[in-house]
Amino acid sequence: MRFLREENIPLLLHRLSESATVWAPQVVRDTVNTVLFSPWLEGAEVETGLYSMLSAKELVLPATERLFSYRYSQAGGREKIEINADAPQEQAAIFAARACDAKGLAVMDALFLDRSGASYNDGQYRARRSGLTVITLACTTCDSACFCSSFEKGAAETAGSDIILYPATGGYLAEAVSKRGEELAALDLFRDSSLEKPELARTAKVELAGLGQRLFDIYDDLDFWRRTAEGCLSCGYCSYACPACHCFNIFDEAESDRTGGRFRCWDACMFYAYTQESSGNNPRPEPAHRYRNRLAHKFSYYPLNRGEILCTGCGRCIRGCPAGLDLRDAIRAVRAR
Amino acid sequence: MNTVPRKGTKAKEPFVPELARLIDVIEETPGVRSFRVVFEDVAVMSAFSFAPGQIGLMGIPGVGESTFAISSPPSRRDYIQFSVMKTGFVTSAIHELEAGDAVAVRAPLGCGFPVDSWKGKNILIAGGGIGMAPLRSLLLHLLDRRDEFGGIRVFYGARTPADLCFAGDRAEWERRQDIDFIATVDRRQPGWSGRTGVVPDVLESERPPAQDTVAVACGPPVMIRYTLAALKRLGFSEDRVYTTLERKMKCGIGLCGRCNVGSKYVCTDGPVFSLADLGNEI
Repeated sequence: MRFLREENIPLLLHRLSESATVWAPQVVRDTVNTVLFSPWLEGAEVETGLYSMLSAKELVLPATERLFSYRYSQAGGREKIEINADAPQEQAAIFAARACDAKGLAVMDALFLDRSGASYNDGQYRARRSGLTVITLACTTCDSACFCSSFEKGAAETAGSDIILYPATGGYLAEAVSKRGEELAALDLFRDSSLEKPELARTAKVELAGLGQRLFDIYDDLDFWRRTAEGCLSCGYCSYACPACHCFNIFDEAESDRTGGRFRCWDACMFYAYTQESSGNNPRPEPAHRYRNRLAHKFSYYPLNRGEILCTGCGRCIRGCPAGLDLRDAIRAVRAR
Repeated sequence: MNTVPRKGTKAKEPFVPELARLIDVIEETPGVRSFRVVFEDVAVMSAFSFAPGQIGLMGIPGVGESTFAISSPPSRRDYIQFSVMKTGFVTSAIHELEAGDAVAVRAPLGCGFPVDSWKGKNILIAGGGIGMAPLRSLLLHLLDRRDEFGGIRVFYGARTPADLCFAGDRAEWERRQDIDFIATVDRRQPGWSGRTGVVPDVLESERPPAQDTVAVACGPPVMIRYTLAALKRLGFSEDRVYTTLERKMKCGIGLCGRCNVGSKYVCTDGPVFSLADLGNEI
């Protein structure tokens, strides 16, 4: 194991910023304690005591990104379209992601990087992901919304991370969990250490075993889903905050009558318009249909298709739900049904 | 899944469409036009192949793109046809286009009908309205390979005679002796000498035998629901009934999330499904 002294953190961030955009949890200006991952500038204070409202997924799936730009021109008396694909080449590093954030990346990799070769892969996601270094801060404490201990490795999860920092007296123990992490841990900012890892947080738990099958069994029980989704405002906060939710919309935006681009932006499966067809048909017209799909996608379909649960227990959807809905209550209700 | 997997380049950025040009626009009904498309790149055009039932996204950069079934058969090598109902923002803009205009296309996507596994069987096709578009591709393909299959019966329904697409093809299908083609409209209209009644009702009154027969149904959601129920009553087992579904789609490649029916994605696992594939989640 290696050790990083507390006072070396700014030096590490500085070192990283020489070759990458560094993102770190920071208090949003003019707020008391709203924390978001955002680009770090020399001298800025990093807030590691509070949880970021949004996950780190923005680094691989920006809230809005251009897929290509287009230009119309006249050629030989005919209109001609020219298309130029965007190819992000950004190097980025995230400092003090949590194990749940990093695992969210690993969970999305199973789809976007298409390890199975069964579908198309996504070049922009791949470019951003391969240019990203993930420095994870292990959790020794948690709050009442956290439930990562429901998953096999809990707070000790290493998937998606390059290096894990464990809080210790005077600094952090550092454990590399990828080749990129090893390169980082070899920097002279770190020294060798024989300290033991601290005890990690143990969160509230919800039983997930057999959930996929239960969801399948009670699919048709719409009254149950109406009760379970009761109060949902279809606002989409849970999707935006989630480290694993990745649904997106695609839209065109013109810059002039000759030029513009095609973009994608985050979408949310709880939005009515998500499945609304122009004919008027909507296969998921009620919050109940949408909530059923949301839960089933996370705990049944995605595990079936991609071998991963589409949830990492970060608790953001619980902390931030304006209607006070708790995903864990829904899971317990499904299991009790 | 017992369907034909898509062909397509994986190396290429999947969101970047191929540039194409309209060579012909055909008015099918007051709300439906068929657009015949040719890729600008000759190599892309000559390499293009697909299975009936596969889909594509056609669009206009600056407006957007939408998903359509390919309505021409694979044997047409000189163009690809999409039949488009004017319904929303993108389809209204597409309806403004004329021959010679530039469009952008991503195709083929999804899985087509497993036609090769139907060899020697009788085939029953039930289409409603614009749902006939993928079935036109299928039927013309079956006719290209006519001697490989048993009896072919086609039921095609629309609200009124004016809403029946593919007038030229229908005349040919009615004339042919080697298929049994029935067109029907919901309500009797002056000048209409054909059948009256919705497709599921006509189907049940004709009582086509289910033995050694594969059934394919495509149409608006209500038509599909009743047609599938009718086929079930006629004794068709779930693995012998195919449908091709339509959902709101954006990415077309199984990433953006919205077109799923249970754990299956209409854009990649479908749009062709057997009822056995869909289970209780249709």
